[in-house]
Amino acid sequence: MDERTPQLRQKRQELIKDLTRNILDCAEPHIDPATPPEELQKTTTQIEERLQFEANVALSEVVTRFSVKRPKDKIEEAVERSFERFGKNFRAQHMLMFLSVVLLIITGMPLKFPEYGISRFVIVTIFGGLPNSTLIHRVAAVGLITVGAWHLGYIAFSRVGRRDFWLMIPRPRDIIDFFQTVMFFLGRRASGPKFHRFSFIEKFDYWAVYWGMVVMIGSGLILWFKEMFPKALFDIAREAHSDEGLLATLAIIVWHFYNVHFNPDVFPMSWVWWHGKLSEEQMKHHHPLEYAEIIEKEMQALTGETPAESSEDKK
Amino acid sequence: MKRHSAPLVVLSLVAIFAGNLLAEEKCLLCHGKKDFVKIEETGRKISLYVDEAQLKHSIHGSRLCTDCHIDVVAIPHPPAKKVNCRRCHYSGNPVGAPQGELYDQYEHSVHGMEVAKGNSKAPVCQDCHGTHDVLPPDSTNSTVYKLNRPKTCGHCHIDIYATFRESIHGQALASGTLDAPDCSSCHGEHNIRRHEDPESKVFPANVAATCSDCHGPVGIAAKYGIKPDRTATFEHSFHGIARVMQNLLVANCASCHGVHDIRREDDPKSSINPANIVKTCGKQGCHPEATPQFATGKIHVDPESKESGILYYITKFFTVLTVSTLVGLAIFIVLDLFRRAKAARAKR
Repeated sequence: MDERTPQLRQKRQELIKDLTRNILDCAEPHIDPATPPEELQKTTTQIEERLQFEANVALSEVVTRFSVKRPKDKIEEAVERSFERFGKNFRAQHMLMFLSVVLLIITGMPLKFPEYGISRFVIVTIFGGLPNSTLIHRVAAVGLITVGAWHLGYIAFSRVGRRDFWLMIPRPRDIIDFFQTVMFFLGRRASGPKFHRFSFIEKFDYWAVYWGMVVMIGSGLILWFKEMFPKALFDIAREAHSDEGLLATLAIIVWHFYNVHFNPDVFPMSWVWWHGKLSEEQMKHHHPLEYAEIIEKEMQALTGETPAESSEDKK
Repeated sequence: MKRHSAPLVVLSLVAIFAGNLLAEEKCLLCHGKKDFVKIEETGRKISLYVDEAQLKHSIHGSRLCTDCHIDVVAIPHPPAKKVNCRRCHYSGNPVGAPQGELYDQYEHSVHGMEVAKGNSKAPVCQDCHGTHDVLPPDSTNSTVYKLNRPKTCGHCHIDIYATFRESIHGQALASGTLDAPDCSSCHGEHNIRRHEDPESKVFPANVAATCSDCHGPVGIAAKYGIKPDRTATFEHSFHGIARVMQNLLVANCASCHGVHDIRREDDPKSSINPANIVKTCGKQGCHPEATPQFATGKIHVDPESKESGILYYITKFFTVLTVSTLVGLAIFIVLDLFRRAKAARAKR
């Protein structure tokens, strides 16, 4: 950063103060004279913070459009900036999981409903009998177990994985968000809550899969190596495997398909699983808090406030 | 006999003149003697004696000898051919001999097909139903009366008869329990087929259905203290599902319980006795790695029954979890769509 920066920062602070004063002046005639001065002071601070935020956003807009530091992607960046939602590693995990789960459902679900003709059609006609379908089920199971192990490694050893896992942990805020969303749906609120990187919906999705993986892999291994376990444990594993399999399948069809296919925002399909990117518009709309944080950090990086921290977080 | 020969001759002459037929009394001149035998070339003696009382008592008591032995037209006669029951027992016959689907099935049965192939050991009607002593099947003296059937079949299938007699079914039958299965309860009567034949009642895919005639929920099992859920729990098991998926390698009822040697669980010789069950599960081609802890434990479990303990509660837990999750998600989606529709309308 060059030497002018601290002066520019100061200038910006002054500008913001001026603006705040202006706003308050304009509002003066409408303010109840009985308002305690502390209340007024609080509002003043809030207005200042808001202006600070908007200024950051505006500044980053200008910087990203006309930055001399990245002349190569200047044009694209200026038109549409994108934000990485899923990295290559995560997308590969999703893809392997997707393939495994589809095969597991096709070869597994008919065995839960053997009385239907379509179940026999799938197993006998399409796969050519139980020995084939159970073999495919086991191959796909190895795929799913691989994803499970891979993901555990990812959240333990990858920096992005660690960060995302941390953000995935449910917090009290999620319960508030949930109720605010319901109130918004019912028309009791003007707008829904603002989300960070992962909304309570996405957290529910993630942890549902997490629980499903634990149950399905655990019970599946007992069924696979049944001779090593008591019959009673086999019966429990079989029931859990069958029931959780149905729950997971229905959750995918109802919930996941709604979120990534039938939701009017993304219909017919969200492509995030393929390219992993969100547009600036989508970021602002779906993840405003994360967006604000990113912009804030970029600003700090540009203004050189805490260079050490921002360079680490940028990646 | 000699004293009565004069009136007999007169009577038979009357009969011959009347319809050119041989009267029974004339046949019995020779066949009524207990020591009337034919000696085959091999030296084997075949009795040609006919017990008149027995014949009169049989269902065919009112028939004449020549009604069945139609090739005998004069005395002495050349060796008579084997009687063809089909002469009377065919659909729409004028003499009212019983005839139905059952009779037609014989030709497609393993016995009928072997006869058609020329196997001289294969049974024809007479081998099971008797010859001059044919009685209706509900008569207790009939060879095909339920309680007599195992012995009748045992004439040829002697080893199986010996095994069956000691089984729980055989013992129940011997004690006069008419609900107990005899050979034909499982194998059929005129429609007996090889167990490799997919149409057979004891073809692996059909065994469960055959056993469930009695051991199913509507069978007579409950009367004898046998749990009526045995076939339902089998259908629910992986073995039952694999059967539906046309896989015949999996276990059916007989794979574990035995075939002709089915015994009670508490019988030390039973294949499902705790002492033997590890061996039964560990059969070649089934679960050779079976350990005692894998094989012991309740086999026919019903997750819907409270008796199953923890399994029951796990089933209930998943039912509640699945229903509540899906209802919750569905409500959430509907509310979201409702809100979107409202916003879209407001925009317009």
